[in-house]
Amino acid sequence: MIWGAWICLLSPLVAAVLITLGGTRTSRRTAGYLATASCFVAFGGALASFIGLLGRDASQRTLVSTAWTWISGGSYRSGLEVIVDPLSVFMMLIVSGVGALIVAYSIGYMDGDDEERRYFAYMALFVFSMLLLVQGGNLLILLAGWGMVGLSSYLLIGFWHDRPSAIAAAKKAFVMNAIGDATMALAFFLLIQKGNSLEFGILGGEFSSTVATLVALGLLGGAVAKSAQIPLHTWLPDAMEGPTPVSALIHAATMVTAGVYLIVRTHAIFEQAPKIADLAAGLGAATLLVAGLIALVQVDIKRVIAYSTMSQIGYMFLGVGLGSYANGMFHLMTHAFFKALLFLAAGIVIHALAAEQDIRKMGGLRTLMPRTYWAFLIGSLALVGIFPFAGFFSKDSILAAAMDHGTYGYILWVAGLIGTFLTGLYTFRLFFVVWWGEPSAFVREHFHALKRDVVGISMAVPVGVLAVLSVIGGWIQFSPWWHPVETWLRTVAEPVVTPKTWQEWVSIALSLTLGLSGIAVAWLLYGARRFAVPRLPFAQRTLEHKFWVDEAYDALFYAPSVFLANLLRRGVEGPLIADTGRDLGDDTRDFGRIVARTQTGLLRTYVLAIASSVAVLAIVFVAVK
Amino acid sequence: MGPGVAWYLTVAGFLFATGALGVLLRRNPLIVLLSLEIMLNGANLALIGFARNLGDGSGQIFALAVMAVAASEVVVGLGLVVAINRKRITLDVDRLNTLRG
Repeated sequence: MIWGAWICLLSPLVAAVLITLGGTRTSRRTAGYLATASCFVAFGGALASFIGLLGRDASQRTLVSTAWTWISGGSYRSGLEVIVDPLSVFMMLIVSGVGALIVAYSIGYMDGDDEERRYFAYMALFVFSMLLLVQGGNLLILLAGWGMVGLSSYLLIGFWHDRPSAIAAAKKAFVMNAIGDATMALAFFLLIQKGNSLEFGILGGEFSSTVATLVALGLLGGAVAKSAQIPLHTWLPDAMEGPTPVSALIHAATMVTAGVYLIVRTHAIFEQAPKIADLAAGLGAATLLVAGLIALVQVDIKRVIAYSTMSQIGYMFLGVGLGSYANGMFHLMTHAFFKALLFLAAGIVIHALAAEQDIRKMGGLRTLMPRTYWAFLIGSLALVGIFPFAGFFSKDSILAAAMDHGTYGYILWVAGLIGTFLTGLYTFRLFFVVWWGEPSAFVREHFHALKRDVVGISMAVPVGVLAVLSVIGGWIQFSPWWHPVETWLRTVAEPVVTPKTWQEWVSIALSLTLGLSGIAVAWLLYGARRFAVPRLPFAQRTLEHKFWVDEAYDALFYAPSVFLANLLRRGVEGPLIADTGRDLGDDTRDFGRIVARTQTGLLRTYVLAIASSVAVLAIVFVAVK
Repeated sequence: MGPGVAWYLTVAGFLFATGALGVLLRRNPLIVLLSLEIMLNGANLALIGFARNLGDGSGQIFALAVMAVAASEVVVGLGLVVAINRKRITLDVDRLNTLRG
C-alpha cells in the first residue's frame, strides 16, 4: 500500500508539470480537469493507503518508504522518504479529499479568467506541497514541504498580480512564513547537533531540558507562523486577496492546518518541554478570542470567515498544546469540511454578485439562492458547534480536555467558552446580514444566479458534498461514547490528558448554551433587529484596526528598518560606495587626458621616442655590463 | 683580407644615422620609407661585418631574414602611399595626424 502513498504524493505534481509544459496547447478547461483529476487520484491513493493500514495490526501501522538518500554528510543521512502511519494517512485523506473538491469548484469559479492554466498548475502544486509536508518521512522532507507550501501560497495569494494589494498580501504572507521557517530551521540545526538526525524518532530521545525547550520553541515558531496564530497572524486576513477557492484551500485543506499537524507529529519534544506546550495552548486561546472579537466588526464576507479560521485553529492549538492530540486533529478534520463549505458558498455569493465582497451591500439573498442559503446555514451551524453538525463533536472535546489540565487549563477553558459565544455571534451576524431581510438595491441590480452548465455544476456539486460532510462528518467520534479517531491516532500520539465523562458533558452543555446564546444575540441585533447594535466607538475602532497589531509591527519593525536603510544610504552608500565609484571614474578620465597629450599623431615624435628609448636601453645595457 | 671590422661598423653606423635622420626630418612618406631601408641596410651591414669577423655564417642568415622582412614592409608601405595618393591627400607625414590624442 506504500505505492498508494507515492501515487497520492506524485499525481498532483505530475498534473502541475503537465499543465506547465502543455502551455497553450492544452485548453483552459483541460487544465482544470487535469488538476481536478490528479487530486482525485491522490485521494484514491490516500484511500488505498488507509485501507491498507486498516488491514494491519495497530502496532504495525507505521510504514516508511525511501526512494533514495537525499542528503548525506559525515554520519548524517536523510532519505527522500514518505511515511504512512495513521496520522499521515489522516492528513492525506483531508488534504487530497477536500483539496480535490475545492479544485473541482475552481473550474467554475475561475472560468473565463485570463490565466486559468497558471492557476490550476499552482493549485496542483499547492496540494502536492501539502501532501509532501504531511507525508514527509523525516523532518527535512517535512521542512521541504513546509517551504513549498509557503511558496505556493505566495504564488496563489498574489495570483491576480495586477492588483497591488494582492502582491502586498502575498509578500506579507511569505515574509511572515519565512520567520516561522527560520525558527524551524534553527530548531533542526540544534537537533542535528545534539542528535545527528532528523528522523521523527529522534524527538523522543533524551535531551536536556534547555535543548528540548529550544527545539520545541523553534517548532512552535514555525507552527504559529504557518497556522496564523498570535503573534504571526497578520498575514491571514490579507491573504483574502487571492481567489476564493484559494482561500478555501489555504484555510480548509492546506497551509494553516500544517501547524497543528506539526505539533502532533513532533509531540514527543513538546512533552519534554511542557512550558512550550502550555505556551502553544495559551497562544491558541489568545488567538481564538482576539480573532473572534475582530470578526465581529469585519465587513468583508471573506475576512469574517478568515478570522473564524484563525479562531478555530486557535481551538486546535489549544487542544494539541494540552496534549489532546486526537481531538485537535478531529477538529482539524471537521473544520476542513465546514470551512471549505463556508468559503465555497461565499464564493458562490461573490460570483453571483459580480465580485462584490462587502456584506453591507448584501442582504436578502435567502430568497434568491435558497440552496446556497441552506449550505451556508449548515456551515455556520457546524462552525458554531450546534448539535448535530460536525463542529459540535470536535470542539467540545477540546474544551473538555482543557478542564483536565489544572488551573491553567481552566483559564483556557473559560477562554474557549467565551470563544464559543463569540463564534455564534460573529458567524450569525454574517449569516443574518447576508441572507435575511429584503434584497438590497445592490443585490437587485447585480444578482445573477448560477446556470446549469459546467460552471454552475462544478461549483454546486462540491458545495453539496461538503454540506453533507458538515452534517455527518462529526458523527465518527462522540467522545463520551465512541472515539475511533482517538483510537486510530493513539499509536502515533498518545494523548496526555484524558478528560472524565462529567467534564465532557459539562463542556458540551456549556458550549452549546453559549453558542446558542451567541446566535440568539446575533438574531436580536441583526436578524430581527429588535435592538440597535450598541455603539462603542473606542472598542469598534480597536477591533477595526485589529488591535493595532499591523500598526505596531509597522512601528516596531518596518519604520526602524526604513529609517536604518535611509541612514545607511545617506551615511554609507552615498559617500563611500557611490562616490568612490564616481571618483575612480573621474580620476581615470583626468589621467587619460594628460596621457593623451603625448599622442601627437606625428610620425617623427614616435620615431624619436622609440629611437631615444632604444639608445637609453643600449647605454644602460653597456653600463651594466 | 680586406679592411677590418671597424671599417664595416663605421660605414654601417653612417648608413644607420643617415637613415634615421631621413626618417626624422623628411616629410615625404616615400623618402621616409627609403630612409627606413637605408637604416635596415646599415643594420644588415653590421651583422655581416660581425659574421665575417667571427667566421660564423649565422649573422648572414639574419641579414637575409631582415631583407625579406624589409621587402614585405616596403610592399605594405608603398601600398599605403599609393592608397593615400589615390585619395588626393597631400603626401606629407606631418599632416597625417588624425591619431592625435
